[in-house]
Amino acid sequence: MKMHHLTYLAAVLLTTGSVSAKPDEPIEIRKPTTYVVPISVSGFEGEVESVLTFDLSVLGMEITTPDKAAYLVNGSQNGRLQGSLTAAGTDHALWARAYAGGLIRAQAHAFANDIVKEIRGTAPIFQTRIAFRLQNGGTTEIAVSDFDGYNAEVLTHDGTLVDGPCWLPGGRGLLYTSWKNGGEEILEHNLSSGERRVFAGFPGANLSPEVSPDGRKAAMILSRSGSPNLWVCNLDGSGLEQLTHTRDEDSCPTWSPDSREICFVCRSGRAELQKVSASGGPARPVRLAGAYGNSTSPDWSPDGKWLAFTSGSGNFTICVAPADGGDTQKLVAGEDPCWAPNSRTIVFCRRVSNKRILCLLDVPTKRVKDVRQISGSCSEPAWAR
Amino acid sequence: MKNANLIGVIFLSLALAAGVTGCKHRPPSVTPIPDDTGGPPKPAAHASPDNGGVAGTPAPVTTDTIPLSNGDYAPLFEGAHNEDRDKFKADTIYFDFDSSTIKESEGAKLQDVANYFKDNKKVEGLIMEGNCDERGTEKYNLSLGERRALAAREYLANLGVDPHRLKTVTYGASKPVDTGHDEAAWKQNRRDDFVLVTPK
Repeated sequence: MKMHHLTYLAAVLLTTGSVSAKPDEPIEIRKPTTYVVPISVSGFEGEVESVLTFDLSVLGMEITTPDKAAYLVNGSQNGRLQGSLTAAGTDHALWARAYAGGLIRAQAHAFANDIVKEIRGTAPIFQTRIAFRLQNGGTTEIAVSDFDGYNAEVLTHDGTLVDGPCWLPGGRGLLYTSWKNGGEEILEHNLSSGERRVFAGFPGANLSPEVSPDGRKAAMILSRSGSPNLWVCNLDGSGLEQLTHTRDEDSCPTWSPDSREICFVCRSGRAELQKVSASGGPARPVRLAGAYGNSTSPDWSPDGKWLAFTSGSGNFTICVAPADGGDTQKLVAGEDPCWAPNSRTIVFCRRVSNKRILCLLDVPTKRVKDVRQISGSCSEPAWAR
Repeated sequence: MKNANLIGVIFLSLALAAGVTGCKHRPPSVTPIPDDTGGPPKPAAHASPDNGGVAGTPAPVTTDTIPLSNGDYAPLFEGAHNEDRDKFKADTIYFDFDSSTIKESEGAKLQDVANYFKDNKKVEGLIMEGNCDERGTEKYNLSLGERRALAAREYLANLGVDPHRLKTVTYGASKPVDTGHDEAAWKQNRRDDFVLVTPK
């Protein structure tokens, strides 16, 4: 047991190269980030236990018995949730906390957030929401849920078609394309009042809105100039500007976290990722080594470092590459990736028989967990961030 | 009329060349002039030096994009109207995988649609619905479907149909004719459907 723990610690030190031993500086031990962490969960049952095991698995941890664990989670759930986190082989817990208020499910998520922050050092994601497209038969609607698929709510009941949504900053609303008035138009949906208004209803296609992270602008695909091209406007609809002028179609815009650039898909022979300044100018290809076939549906990580995208035609693969171009990492089968606020987890969609389901991917460990299934086919997820 | 037509083609070539070389400039808006007496201008989208370019003719010409405007077709398409999905059912055109190029095999169908509009002086319109197979991601397919609808719109406009009567819609992969997962199904789904719109 001791031996195992020492081996594990050695692995931590070797792989992270992490001990800063200069005099006068505090010794900093960085968090183990890139490999599967064995962890045990004891003292809980039912919903709390299932929330904890699911959440920790999403961040690339392997639930195991205490004798094989690198970290031990202990606690109780009598009335309120109390828990502690201990590194294996040590006598004292790293910390012990109690959680009050809200539903026991929310307390379990909050506890899991604290554990992950300690072990992985990443931003909390277990109390965030996702929005997605829900298909039943020949119609599609917009739905939202917790990141794990729980507390799902169908927002639209138009009985027609919609395309996948994007979030307004702060999660106060969504933009999405709707066909409820015949041709496609972009609607803005206020989540607190339930009110909707037409955000973009130009002649031709009004597609694929993406709100900039600073909340000031929206990028979208319009065909009013005669071809599906990339346009931007302010959120009040003013300042409409055409950014690309290609004859072949452009698609799939995503913003850089500083809201200065837009990455999108341009088809010149095959679909490739390009970047353009949000204030105009020429578009430049993102050079991706190891990408094959079409590269579509990019999503820029909130920390600015990565582009996740879909590679291929039909047999789709989720890929990640440096935002400035470079080597493509092929991760798992699936499409339409969207980063969580932690720039580590990705929600994506994969096709199983005649249905699509949403899944969560831990990028460094390539571990995948399916979100809770709801009736219908779920696709085009967007993480509130 | 032939001369006018030739001038139109040259103008389109220049507009295209300007679009290619000067990316910062917005492409000029070019609306082909309908030609009622001299026969339809030959769509040049497939012309290439390899497949029948006549010696001495200019470089291959691609149809330019035609901007969409609401003013002209709003009353027809947004007022009370009937939609006839059967009228041009036999004229549904099909595309190669991941392509929005109008194939030569589909030209006769578009000519059939164009003939209806040329012979008909009533205020009618056409909804052109672009569709894709399931082998693209959703948002990519939506843009591709729109490009397919626009390709047919440009083709019909070159055959003399008033482009303001031609409204495009894209459904991406949301309206497959065949829900199978093989090429037999996919080739049925990569299509433009044409819906005749008549005022009520």
